[in-house]
Amino acid sequence: MKRRTMAGLLVAAGSAVVAGAVGLPTLIAGLSPVWQPKQATWRPLGRLNRFAIGKVTPAAVVIDRRQWPKPAGEQAVFVWRPNDGEIIVYSRSCTDLGCPLEYEPGSGCFLCPCHGGIFAQDGRRLAGPPQSPLLRYANRIQDGVLEIDIASLPPAA
Amino acid sequence: MIRRSLRWIVDRFGLGPIWDHVLDRNVPKDPWYHGDGMALLVLLTVLVVTGMLLSMGYCPAVDEAYRSVEYITKRQTLGWFVRGLHYWSGGLMVVMLFLHLCRQLLNGGYKSPREGTWLIGVLLLFIVLATSLLGYVLRWDQRGLYGLKVLLTAVQSTPGLGEKSVLLLQGGPEVTSLTLSRVFALHVVLLPMLLLMLVGYHLYLVILHGTTTLAERKEPIETVEEQREIYHEQAEHPVKGEVFFPTAVIKISPWSIVSLALAFGLTIVFGPRALLAPAANHSAEPVSEEWWFAWYSALVALLPPSIAPTFQWLFPMAVFIGLVLLPFVDRSPLRGWKNRPIATTLVVLLVLSVLGLSWLRYQSPWTAQAAAAVPATPAGFELAHEAEQGRQLFRQYGCTICHSVAGSGGAKIGSDLAQLDTIYSQTELRQYILRPPAGVAMPGYEGRISDDELEQIVAYVLVAQTFPRKQE
Repeated sequence: MKRRTMAGLLVAAGSAVVAGAVGLPTLIAGLSPVWQPKQATWRPLGRLNRFAIGKVTPAAVVIDRRQWPKPAGEQAVFVWRPNDGEIIVYSRSCTDLGCPLEYEPGSGCFLCPCHGGIFAQDGRRLAGPPQSPLLRYANRIQDGVLEIDIASLPPAA
Repeated sequence: MIRRSLRWIVDRFGLGPIWDHVLDRNVPKDPWYHGDGMALLVLLTVLVVTGMLLSMGYCPAVDEAYRSVEYITKRQTLGWFVRGLHYWSGGLMVVMLFLHLCRQLLNGGYKSPREGTWLIGVLLLFIVLATSLLGYVLRWDQRGLYGLKVLLTAVQSTPGLGEKSVLLLQGGPEVTSLTLSRVFALHVVLLPMLLLMLVGYHLYLVILHGTTTLAERKEPIETVEEQREIYHEQAEHPVKGEVFFPTAVIKISPWSIVSLALAFGLTIVFGPRALLAPAANHSAEPVSEEWWFAWYSALVALLPPSIAPTFQWLFPMAVFIGLVLLPFVDRSPLRGWKNRPIATTLVVLLVLSVLGLSWLRYQSPWTAQAAAAVPATPAGFELAHEAEQGRQLFRQYGCTICHSVAGSGGAKIGSDLAQLDTIYSQTELRQYILRPPAGVAMPGYEGRISDDELEQIVAYVLVAQTFPRKQE
């Protein structure tokens, strides 16, 4: 091997080491949200008796402002109590592109403002581009307060 | 003395070679409308300058971002003007970039030896589109939040990598302060830096390889050597060639002047984009995308639902891969739109689709919304008391969301009741309203309306079926 080729390789190797030493930790720190363990995050919606049986009631997740990272705002959801024993908490995101659904009490339908998706009270898709039914959060009752696990749905929901 | 100082500056700052190789170089004569690339450079400069000012007033924190934009717009001296110029230049840049792309597709601007220029250009196209979307997310109003959500939902639909990518972009399992910090970093630091570096490289290649000249479009060019020979012969020709600065620059400046005039004019007439309500997931304000994405919104609304989830991730990926492969797939020696009827037809169709889809978006927003008014009764019809009650209930129970009556109201999701294929009897209507047949996109009303209300609605629909098909 020629002296110059050798020296060139040495410079390239040295640069690669420096690039790795700076780039790898930066890359790992940057990518870290990807492998954070998924853990249940229970947040209260309000006392259960606020949500009438047989009705769909809009609600919002109560946020503790001291936590970090600070949530972007109250997460709006819909609580449906078809009967005494059953509680269903829908995500407000349309299953097509994530636009915010509105509940229309007259027809008992959820309406999407973006491309006219319509869902029935039981979450079925009735019309428009969406293909899958409304997403449901895992929920539980703690001391008479309805709570949902916001980690129970995919990250963009 | 002055002359000596100038010579010193030129020598010590190495301006000579720039003059020789960039400004004083000879180029083949180009028609005036080849200045779309220069217009993009001008718009980019406007965006960088106005963006610098905006970044000094903007606060990338979830509780403060909206108010800081409001401050820039309403209270900072000329803040509205700078934000307006940034907004309109951004939108115009997307339009000009589309024109730039179309022109290269028409003329075969990606053919040898300009494949490198083209590939860098494809990267620039996607960076500009991403930057233009993330820019309006920064406003942190309803449009911004839902622009982001739509983007993330589309990313999430990618098989395998979707959820991981959302976690990365969002900075965690939900939209938090980290998300806004990321959007800020991407829009203000990372993407513009990448953009400026790649634009520099793109321009270096434009100077090195030139752009598709009129002479190159005349006859088939088989090899790179042949192309270079034609190019240089043209460039150095006393009639067919000209000097780049200032002759060519002045000639190709119309696009730049029009772009700047539009950016200034639109800013002065309309001001910056009005802020919607602050980003909040409980606001009822209807949202829509920015106008330069209207065509895409129409496209996803019109797709059959079965392919929509695949389309959302496959479409951008297919466009990217398609554009990257284009110079290697299209090996024909012909350049210029006149020699390439297929390319020309496709580009005309592309332009018509983008314009047509955008037009459709504004004609029909497809928004499913509770109609505010009861359907009108055609002239010459008198409703009995019961049917009139039914007409009121028709709105109250949300029937008007889907059904129009003789063309009045309704989003045309369900049938127009005056245009039904079959006329239903009283008994059939009762059945239909309480328990719609399977597969029909109508909620059942059993248990939700009283017998009296049902009779009133049925009475109304019975009359509505006899209305003339369209009201004048």
